[in-house]
Amino acid sequence: MTIIPTRRQAMLAALAMPFLGRVAQGAAAEPILIGTLTPQTGAGGSFGPGMVKVAKAVVDDINAAGGVLGRKIELVSADDETNPDAGVRAARKLIDVNKVDAIAGTWASAVTMAVAPLCWDNKVMLFTVSGADSITKLPHQGYIIRTQPNTYLQSGRIAKYIVGDKATKVFGLSAQTPFAVDSYNRLAEVLKAGNVEPLGDIVYDAAKTSFRSEIDQALKTKPDALFLNSYTPDITVLLRELFRAGYEGKRYTFGYAATPKLLENVPADVVEGLVSFAPSPDLGSPAYARVKRILGAEPDPYAAQIHDHISLIALSIAKAGASGGVAIHDFVRAVGDAGGTKVTSAIDGLKLLADGKAVNFEGASGPCKFTPLGDIEDCKFRFDVAEKGKYRLLSIS
Amino acid sequence: MASYLLAMAVFAGFYALMALGLNVIWGLAGMINLGLVGFFAIGAYTAALLSVKLHVPMLVGWGAAAIAGSVAGALLAVVTARLKGDYLAIVTLGFSEIVRLTASNEIWLTGGTDGISAIPGPFRGALSPLGFNLVFAGLIWGVVAVTALALGRLSASPFGRVLRAIREDEMVAAVAGKPVLAFKVRAFALGAGVLGFAGALYAHYNGYVAPDAFQPLITIYVVLALTAGGTGTMRGAMLGAVLVIALTEGTRFLDDVLPGLAPVQIAALREALIGTALIVILTWRPQGLVAERTRVLQLEAL
Repeated sequence: MTIIPTRRQAMLAALAMPFLGRVAQGAAAEPILIGTLTPQTGAGGSFGPGMVKVAKAVVDDINAAGGVLGRKIELVSADDETNPDAGVRAARKLIDVNKVDAIAGTWASAVTMAVAPLCWDNKVMLFTVSGADSITKLPHQGYIIRTQPNTYLQSGRIAKYIVGDKATKVFGLSAQTPFAVDSYNRLAEVLKAGNVEPLGDIVYDAAKTSFRSEIDQALKTKPDALFLNSYTPDITVLLRELFRAGYEGKRYTFGYAATPKLLENVPADVVEGLVSFAPSPDLGSPAYARVKRILGAEPDPYAAQIHDHISLIALSIAKAGASGGVAIHDFVRAVGDAGGTKVTSAIDGLKLLADGKAVNFEGASGPCKFTPLGDIEDCKFRFDVAEKGKYRLLSIS
Repeated sequence: MASYLLAMAVFAGFYALMALGLNVIWGLAGMINLGLVGFFAIGAYTAALLSVKLHVPMLVGWGAAAIAGSVAGALLAVVTARLKGDYLAIVTLGFSEIVRLTASNEIWLTGGTDGISAIPGPFRGALSPLGFNLVFAGLIWGVVAVTALALGRLSASPFGRVLRAIREDEMVAAVAGKPVLAFKVRAFALGAGVLGFAGALYAHYNGYVAPDAFQPLITIYVVLALTAGGTGTMRGAMLGAVLVIALTEGTRFLDDVLPGLAPVQIAALREALIGTALIVILTWRPQGLVAERTRVLQLEAL
């Protein structure tokens, strides 16, 4: 007698297939699971795909060289949709279903803030590129590591640059973000110390389609420099409207807002002279060259940082001799050991660790030394100016 | 996996509760409310602030959240008394954006875009993450069941009949001697109270609220849930909510089925699939999965 499955049975079997595959795989190899939670859609959607590409390439390199502790690493990628509500559900999947040891790459500060409690409750390490100061002030018990310099460090540096650039009166226009107010306060503090007058700051809703009233208000104070603390969609509008309003002073903004793509999409006149500022990856480092090779283009800071996230995770597990969020938590600072041999790739580091030697990992974003709160201790910054629709590097300091 | 499924059941519960609240306002009384996430936010912030800043017991906070939602709902209903259809939709959408912008800007109260973190959850510290999800899934679906039963009774009562009469033709209801505005205000207050209560539970479940969490997207999802499930019916509201979560979250597993695609392609495919599925459902069953059954006077029988 032959058994002919009914339609319903066939459907059930088909639905169960992906889960069966996963079980069989787990029993054979027991890979180490690492999650990436990056924005593939939404406001951060232009950064996420590159980040995942780099993370995947680093994992492939490590696996090709024999893995960590004899085990392969498996990368699971989820989309946070640049939205905290969806981000929490995506993180739930990574933690509860995929059972990852660590989550790398959260980008928007609101997403990181929402996901962080899930991570420390479940003893999963969270590596983030978000900038808001309040993130590392959460009661995270050491489960957050941030490679992005915080607002205090960034705003202080940009203010110093503005002082050196001979601006005299600076007005701020900030998109409503968790770090808008902190940013401006720190900027104003350093500007005052350099005898530059901070005129004030307007915090606006980035979702608006016009900023005429904000610009009128700003220009009424007669600034000769504007600090645009924005994201890409709103700065596009701001720059166009400033151009139309005939503003001819200096404009400073963050590199994540004025992306090279933005320069391609707006007329060159509109962005001419715009100075953009970004935490600089270590341009001379072989790790940076690797990220550039993977992307086939000049990497953004986040792609460089996620390279370091994945490398740090692999090295910490090797150093600890065990996988799991707790192992990474306990040993992540031990692989940036100042007394160890300097390495710029996870593979070199893993070899040394296997021989029982100490390593000092310096990645594509620079030295990976973290404060007890999980913030990066210091980093380099780069300044670019837009000229004829392209960026020209001004300085790295 | 169990913990994940429970967490998704909790989210489906939030959506179901919101769909039930919306059902009173829109499904029964016919007032299009695209500002429901605003009431949800008011409830969430009320409960979060009471428990974090004033250390009020959680249950009291939940009650206060429902009342805050109700009061806001009643006020909005009075303000929009003369608006109908698209105009009401626009004003209510504006209302929810006002709530979100207020939460972003009144930093002294709401913490601005930093939000409010470390909101306690019922038994969170004492339970494992799995246990907490289990307790919360039981709690939320218990609340959903009680609310659905109560609202179901209400819908079958004379009060519900008047609301449906107003929905079908306000003029006729008024001519029949029903105080239309009073009924509308009561329906709005009741629905908004349910939305506020849902917000309170959401705040205590997530442990974190921020203005970014209350984007109009949630409104759209809940409206879709109710439309797909069937407006006017409590079972439809619940079924639709489960369906929307199953669609948005189920598609996250696409990468297991289609390993060859890059995450950005998966993300695009997800959005396309969710959209297509909803279009298919609404084309196939425009009245929703569970159609409303109302008693119609049988003229032939007379």
